[in-house]
Amino acid sequence: MKKFFYKSSVLALMAGIFLTSCDPEIDVANPSSGELNLTKYVAVGNSLTAGYADGGLYREGQLSSFPALMAQQFETAGGGSFVQPLFTEAQANGSGYLKLTGFNPPAAPGASPSPILTPVTTNLAVRTDVAPLPGGPRLTKFTDPVNNYAVPGMSVLSSATPIYGGVNPHFDRLLADAEVGSKSYIAKVAESQPTFFTLWLGNNDVLTYATNGAVVNPTNPFSDKTPVATFKAIYTSLLGALAKGGEVEGVVANIPDVAATPFFTTVTLDAIRKSAGMSDLKVYIRVAEGPTGVRELGEGDLVLLTTQAAIGRVDQVAPGVSIPHGFHPANPLTDSEVLDKDEVAEVRAHTQELNKVIAEVAAANKIPVFDVNKFFTERFARPFVQNGVPYSSAFITGNVFSLDGIHLTPRGNAIVANEFIRVINSNYNTNIPLVDETQYRAVLLP
Amino acid sequence: MKSKILALLGSALISGTAMAGGYQVNLASQRQIGMGHTGTGLLTGTSSIFFNPGAMSHIGYSGITIGGSALVSKIAYSAPESGGVTARTDNPLGTPFQVYGVYNINEKFSAGLGVYTPFGSTVNWGDEWNGRFGLNQLKLQAIYVQPTVSYAITDKLGIGVGLSYVIGSVNLQRSLPVQNQDGTEGGIELDGGAESAFGFNAGIFFQPTEKFSIGVNYRSRVDLKVEGGDVMFSNIPMAARANFPEGANFDAELPMPSTLSVGIGFKPNERLTLAADISHVGWDAYEKLRFDFSQNVAGSPFSEAARNYDNAFIYRIGGEYMVNDALALRAGAYLDQTPVQDGYLTPETPDSDSRGLSAGIGYSVSENISIDASFLYINKKERTDAANLSGGVAGTYKSVAYIPGIGLNFKF
Repeated sequence: MKKFFYKSSVLALMAGIFLTSCDPEIDVANPSSGELNLTKYVAVGNSLTAGYADGGLYREGQLSSFPALMAQQFETAGGGSFVQPLFTEAQANGSGYLKLTGFNPPAAPGASPSPILTPVTTNLAVRTDVAPLPGGPRLTKFTDPVNNYAVPGMSVLSSATPIYGGVNPHFDRLLADAEVGSKSYIAKVAESQPTFFTLWLGNNDVLTYATNGAVVNPTNPFSDKTPVATFKAIYTSLLGALAKGGEVEGVVANIPDVAATPFFTTVTLDAIRKSAGMSDLKVYIRVAEGPTGVRELGEGDLVLLTTQAAIGRVDQVAPGVSIPHGFHPANPLTDSEVLDKDEVAEVRAHTQELNKVIAEVAAANKIPVFDVNKFFTERFARPFVQNGVPYSSAFITGNVFSLDGIHLTPRGNAIVANEFIRVINSNYNTNIPLVDETQYRAVLLP
Repeated sequence: MKSKILALLGSALISGTAMAGGYQVNLASQRQIGMGHTGTGLLTGTSSIFFNPGAMSHIGYSGITIGGSALVSKIAYSAPESGGVTARTDNPLGTPFQVYGVYNINEKFSAGLGVYTPFGSTVNWGDEWNGRFGLNQLKLQAIYVQPTVSYAITDKLGIGVGLSYVIGSVNLQRSLPVQNQDGTEGGIELDGGAESAFGFNAGIFFQPTEKFSIGVNYRSRVDLKVEGGDVMFSNIPMAARANFPEGANFDAELPMPSTLSVGIGFKPNERLTLAADISHVGWDAYEKLRFDFSQNVAGSPFSEAARNYDNAFIYRIGGEYMVNDALALRAGAYLDQTPVQDGYLTPETPDSDSRGLSAGIGYSVSENISIDASFLYINKKERTDAANLSGGVAGTYKSVAYIPGIGLNFKF
């Protein structure tokens, strides 16, 4: 009797230990680099590729740049190391950026509380030992070879000219002193000899113009829309330098729609009216020179996010005459504060032209295109839920766009990295695992 | 005759309810677990209170059964296109239990009381996996207390009915997608006890010959309602606190679905008992998971996610062999269809069709005391789902469970 219990309990115990140590498994295909050689991945692009966010380039943003996240996933499939021109810990705040430090209570019942964005001015990499460049103060250099060659502000137009190193502090930063003003961006990235590349450039060939309300800055030769023929010639040589006639594989991405970002979609007429507490308030904008160049803000006009603070500001338009900015034809929102309906159409049409060029040149080089334009329009512009988190192109609450309304949060970068990876997997017979986007932050709240 | 009684005694040993479709836990008797949890068409001893009150008046003795199981469940998860298992549950040990007492009033009547746990779920994914905004952990408990009477119309036919008094509780924790300046995420915890609810359990048992028996059993649907449960928030950034108010309460309702079972028993000889059951579970009662809040949470007075469960069948077979007068060996198997439709998978119950394999042993220590032990292995089919209709977490899930159990029977 005793023996029976002893035996059976030992047996049960052993069976228990054996079986409970068996964890369920899921068979999934192992990460693989397929036809690709991922030993040296180089990213070419602008602020979006650099990890620029919240109105600045700083270390945290760099660490969660989409190419850095992609490289991390490449590593599971034999990818090589990925060096970024990181700001040091001591200068972690880089160029400085905006931080959300609070909300002003709603200006009127029903209005949204307005965010308080405070510039971070400590631990910067801003150099005071040298004169600033036309594009701003110079930044601490990082001239070692890197894998992420993205330069905030870089356009296709400016990539061809050697003088740009002496204009843009972010480009200056990556160049040795002798190269500044003498080496073009194309030449610089061609030297890097990648085995795989991503190229996402062209946004600034239309968005610089758009973010300035479709007004060209006369002192900045790179602030207009780049003519299509010029764009095509430079883009061809740029992609040619990277792809080397089909020798090197990569992915190119095109230009997103202007109205897909909160920079252009946050300050609506409805929002202005709610803030003012007047449901029939008329807002006036300048669309042309002269007394007839003023009209009411209407459907399809996009007020820039940066204009928000100026709306309703009481200006003295004549001695003794004070008028809130934008609320009267005598003090309309200026041309550069609004992308009016016609300008939106103009920017959109130009974006489409340039995207056509990107598609053509990519096809000629047999390089697949990540249609960011479509992705932003169809994904971010419509609210969606992923892993229980709501996403949209809403400012702050949409979780995708950072505090400047144009660049992405680390979370947004992870989502974009995953789309790049999907394009790679479907074109190169690879199996690069996706990033867990939830591990990267959205907007941090005070 | 003696061996037959002993065999029946063994059947009464323990009841429990196992991890099954949805959040049903079919582990109601240690003897029956060993036999694939068949029993609707058998004299299962005191556990007839659960399996078929109609059979209770035929067991012919008074007795008490106490039993319980140790439910070890494990779930692996692979996020879409992730190239591997990206999360595993760390579930605490589940302890479904059963207590039955039957008093044989006379040849015709018997009365009994059962306490058992036919529904429940404890799943803990932690707060780091990619589905944490859907679920960190869920603890769902329901305890049924069922006074039961049974009447033997003839020596071949019996009927019985029990009133189920049901108590329960729920605790659900999720991360919230709001982050402090240091990146910490907010959290929400919903905790509440259910209002007492009532249902019934009725059955008919018919044994036309010594060798053959059949039974029909119906356990009614019970809706568990939580009123005024606590809503607790953690780590909410100052700027978002108005959205997640302190001191909010919630109401919610969760159906414990009806189950209709038909079972047969067959005794080809004195030593062998074979059984087969089919159950139909009325899962379509579970249409949505809705929480109504006393104050707006995240700007809304409620949160609702579709579940739209489908009714499902469970098919069971089992057998028991008396090696000698004291020792019984048992085995069984079942197939439990999932009630969760495509698109509706959730991390609370990442359910799929499940296969159960069981084995058991019964030993009569004396005329009056016997012991049952069982082991059940549940293997759910690997399932990949977009979870786009339930607000769930897309990916591939695979669940297994190991459930040893033991029960004691006393016969008077």
